[in-house]
Amino acid sequence: MNPISALGAWMLAAVEEFGQYAVFTARALWGIVRPPYRLRNLFRQMEFVGNQSLSIVLITGAFTGMVFAVQTDFAFGRFGARGLIGSTVVLALTRELGPVLTSLMVNGRVGSAMAAEIGTMRVTEQIDALESMAIDPVQYLASPRIGASILMLPILCAAFDLVGAMGVSYVATQVLGVNPGPYYARMEWFVDPDDIWGGMLKSAVFGFIIASVGCYRGFTARGGAEGVGRATTRAVVASGVAILVVDYFITVILAPMSVNRA
Amino acid sequence: MSDDCIRLENLQKRFGAQEVLRGVDLEIPFGKITVVIGRSGTGKSVLLKILMGLMRADGGRIVIGGTDITRLGDRELLKVRNRFGMVFQHAALFDSMTVFENVAFPLREHERLREPALKERVNAALASVGLVEHGHKDVHQLSGGMRKRAAVARALVRKPEFLLYDEPTTGLDPIMTAHVDDLIRNTQNATPGLTSLVISHDMEATLRIADKVAMLHEGRVIFEGTAADVRSTDHPVVRQFVEGRLEGPIQI
Ligand SMILES: Nc1ncnc2c1ncn2[C@@H]1O[C@H](COP(=O)(O)OP(=O)(O)OP(=O)(O)O)[C@@H](O)[C@H]1O
Ligand SMILES: [Mg+2]
Repeated sequence: MNPISALGAWMLAAVEEFGQYAVFTARALWGIVRPPYRLRNLFRQMEFVGNQSLSIVLITGAFTGMVFAVQTDFAFGRFGARGLIGSTVVLALTRELGPVLTSLMVNGRVGSAMAAEIGTMRVTEQIDALESMAIDPVQYLASPRIGASILMLPILCAAFDLVGAMGVSYVATQVLGVNPGPYYARMEWFVDPDDIWGGMLKSAVFGFIIASVGCYRGFTARGGAEGVGRATTRAVVASGVAILVVDYFITVILAPMSVNRA
Repeated sequence: MSDDCIRLENLQKRFGAQEVLRGVDLEIPFGKITVVIGRSGTGKSVLLKILMGLMRADGGRIVIGGTDITRLGDRELLKVRNRFGMVFQHAALFDSMTVFENVAFPLREHERLREPALKERVNAALASVGLVEHGHKDVHQLSGGMRKRAAVARALVRKPEFLLYDEPTTGLDPIMTAHVDDLIRNTQNATPGLTSLVISHDMEATLRIADKVAMLHEGRVIFEGTAADVRSTDHPVVRQFVEGRLEGPIQI
């Protein structure tokens, strides 16, 4: 095959795959709003996505805040702007690092688990069994996972922001010796609730990406344990890349709104 | 052509270059046990999956009571599936649930029962396969044979009109095999109007429980008849299969 037609074939396959993913996702979202409502499944997934991710998110948040305080001090200390450490790092945390790092951490835990669990059900015919009992497997399995992730990621992100801000403040005022007075005054001046809301909105979108890709990969898994392993890897990689790409575009779209306020 | 049966007409299915079903014609009479026999890999499981709508056929029709179910939309298909129960070849139990919850699952999803009534139904189904004491166990704690039986209980629990068994006794010990055969027969006798379709390798069991036997070979039904017909036929392929001989028209 010549390179052009190889590229064409690859692009067609990619478009087809994306189309199937879109149809799957639409079915899953429709499954959230239409009856039957399986609240038990939703709560179980919220517990899995939320509670069980909390400790890794808190640890990541605290240390991210702390290390950025040190690094920012290294840069800002040169021109005597150390009072700005807090506001700068907290802005970065709420707008960018919170949603992105939270989602990447959760992706490693939750996206892979969803792909593996559903993939195993696929190759052991448990999904066929659901279908044979007149149950829509997409609604039963994917809808609660996607719903739970959309709800829980913003909460995890807020927790990340909070401990991150505490980490910065601790390192700045206690370790680096920044004067607490101007530190907190500038923080209030610079950081706006909209920064926090924007970050939480982003993380809801990332939660949707993690769960929908994880479930889709699980549903399309083929061929035994190896197939499930492949589905899991592909889910985590695809979601990770998608999170970073989508993050850029959301940022670009949200940016004008926050510029106006200044 | 009669209407008191599930009628498969010229059913075809291929996977890539491999033609699995090349035009299957078969009548599955209501209220009877039909057993489909055939060599491993001839497409018996595929046939069941198409019948349940889990796979789409490439051609042909499946007519139940005058309706071609291969043409139905998703919503009508769900209604049809509610009339079926299926025992999968590898049990396909939900491994995130206990045995009891597996059997309770279809009831919880489709019937609004109070907990005592539900317990009663589930335990009755478990009792019929000798698993009442094992209800609390996780699926991975069961032996292969126990899984099979749990799958039978799960398929029976809603009392469907059509019961499909994909090799219900493969991998069971001889006594359990006889027990499951009895279970299929007794369920059949105890449920007026029940239609059972059993896929089997086990010739002895087939001849014991079948009202009708069909043999699938190279993508077609090459033989249909009663158990007595099977015993007396001189169809060379059927003879070889029934007697389990190496020499004959079927070459490995
Ligand atoms: N999803 C699928 N994709 C591709 N090929 C398949 C698929 N399912 C089944 N086949 C092929 O179809 C053929 C029939 O498979 P099937 O499982 O129906 O056999 P079987 O008659 O049930 O055999 P056994 O008695 O061993 O269970 C096999 O060659 C199998 O490889
Ligand atoms: Mg089979």
